Amino acid sequence: MSYATDLPTTSEFGQVPGTPQGSPAEAVHWTRKPWFVNALAVAILLVVWQYLHSVNGRVPSIDEVVSFLGVELGGGSHGGVSRGEFWGPLSISLQRYAIGLAIGIPVGGLLGLLIGGSRRFRSVLNDTVLVLLVLPSVVWAFAASLWFGIGSTAPVVAVVLTAVPFMAVNLSSGIRGLDPGLALMSDAFRVPRLRRATHLLVGGALSNAVTGVRLAFMTSWNSLLIVEWFGTASGVGWRAKHWYDAQRFEGFVAWILLFVVFITLLDWLVLRRLEHRSTRWQQQPTLTFAEGEIA
Amino acid sequence: MATILIENLTKVYPPTPTYPQQVQALGGVSMSVTGNVFVAVLGPSGSGKTTLLNIVAGVEEPTAGAVRVVQDGVPAQVGYVFQEPRLLPWRSVLDNMLYVQNRKSDRSKREAEFYLSMVGLSDVAHLYPAQLSAGMQQRVGIARAFLVNPDVLLMDEPFSHMDALTGRSLRDYLQRIWAHTRKTALFVTHDVGEAVELADRILMLRPGGVVFDDIPVNLPRPRRPDDAAVHAVETEVLRRFDSMEAAVRFGDQRN
Ligand SMILES: Nc1ncnc2c1ncn2[C@@H]1O[C@H](COP(=O)(O)OP(=O)(O)OP(=O)(O)O)[C@@H](O)[C@H]1O
Ligand SMILES: [Mg+2]
Repeated sequence: MSYATDLPTTSEFGQVPGTPQGSPAEAVHWTRKPWFVNALAVAILLVVWQYLHSVNGRVPSIDEVVSFLGVELGGGSHGGVSRGEFWGPLSISLQRYAIGLAIGIPVGGLLGLLIGGSRRFRSVLNDTVLVLLVLPSVVWAFAASLWFGIGSTAPVVAVVLTAVPFMAVNLSSGIRGLDPGLALMSDAFRVPRLRRATHLLVGGALSNAVTGVRLAFMTSWNSLLIVEWFGTASGVGWRAKHWYDAQRFEGFVAWILLFVVFITLLDWLVLRRLEHRSTRWQQQPTLTFAEGEIA
Repeated sequence: MATILIENLTKVYPPTPTYPQQVQALGGVSMSVTGNVFVAVLGPSGSGKTTLLNIVAGVEEPTAGAVRVVQDGVPAQVGYVFQEPRLLPWRSVLDNMLYVQNRKSDRSKREAEFYLSMVGLSDVAHLYPAQLSAGMQQRVGIARAFLVNPDVLLMDEPFSHMDALTGRSLRDYLQRIWAHTRKTALFVTHDVGEAVELADRILMLRPGGVVFDDIPVNLPRPRRPDDAAVHAVETEVLRRFDSMEAAVRFGDQRN
């Protein structure tokens, strides 16, 4: 560089204020750690459950449910000819879930890009997507099984139809929320199109996209179960309904529990972490950088 | 050598649902700037300063008139310091610099780091904009404008959002950097002292976007805001603003 050496150097400015110097966040008391709070919540839930069992015999007890699960897992006998089934229903549901999301998330993402990026598409598609968003998944359950009958098409379609609007709405609002000043800045510096797409558009809408993905995962798991309950003869939802119809409430509760545990774990271990990562830039240095914030 | 040629530039914003009257932001501005000069455009809020810079930068279309910004006959590379920092919030300071860098090479990162050190921000290159103070963000904006090795430097009140002390030291910086690079500079401000301290020439805008005066500032550099000579020019600039206002008011009364 051709600049002469009499330019002031960084050190003349001294230490830049606000630079983190590796000072660790203040230690959080263990009673406030997320794992403790979560464990406490689970414990309270179990106590309430056992209490409900003691006042109402139709509510199965914890150990009834656990031993039922053991039979389902081990493939033992539930009495008579009925045998335990676990991996079969679970893997069928997970396949439908995966296929539905693999279609619904990209399609919803594309719709979100179009709605967010183009006024014309917005006027045509926005209301359609909103209708999709407000329709409860039980409607998809009935409609899809009406159209496609018993089989895997109906639940997959329901997952797709639930995932699409969540993706589309979140992504499009992310794109519409982009500061027009940043586009003007990119114009002024003649930033190439491709770099602008990856850094400005994707960078800016990424956190909204991830939120969309998270909501799509959670809500379409719900839809899947409902469709399987009402319109199929296989999968997790069907298995729960099977035991419900058989008046084996410990079986019904066991499967509902599995259903909840699955989505909760998925959210804690994957989705929430993704969301946290993608929104890291929004946070102030001293507030919530601690990794302990997420489970 | 860079040239900015502006001929009879007019910008009228059409009425909008929220403001149902058209707004004349620029009312026939003409000027010509050539070579290593630092020109200040001085005007009150709403006199069309930002609009002028946006049109010169090519990011806004004029209603009428023409603008040419050339370097040795070809379109000039423009560096723009905006009124707000305008950084990508989801990219680190260094990545924000690299975002506008057009030649990608091993050197580009070192260049970006060099310009960051020039504004005293070497230590925060890896932080996100939200982790910087407003003044620090604006300094990133200044470093970014220099990084593209501009033929023409456009600056839109870069110091108006910071405290007087920071503004003072940054003006000092800018004077020194400019003394070495001597880029053709168009510097917009509403601050008379700032204009006199930095510029070779002051164009004075009045509301409606009309240039009503053009004052040369022939003072040796570096200048200090408390120099008596700087102060004398300031007084003169203010006197001309007052007489312009009086003339406008007088004109109104006659209508
Ligand atoms: N996009 C726009 N649409 C409509 N009117 C606009 C737009 N941009 C600016 N104006 C109007 O044009 C006039 C000049 O605005 P401009 O931003 O150029 O002023 P300025 O001199 O930069 O003011 P300031 O010192 O407050 O930044 C103002 O009256 C403003 O309301
Ligand atoms: Mg302005």
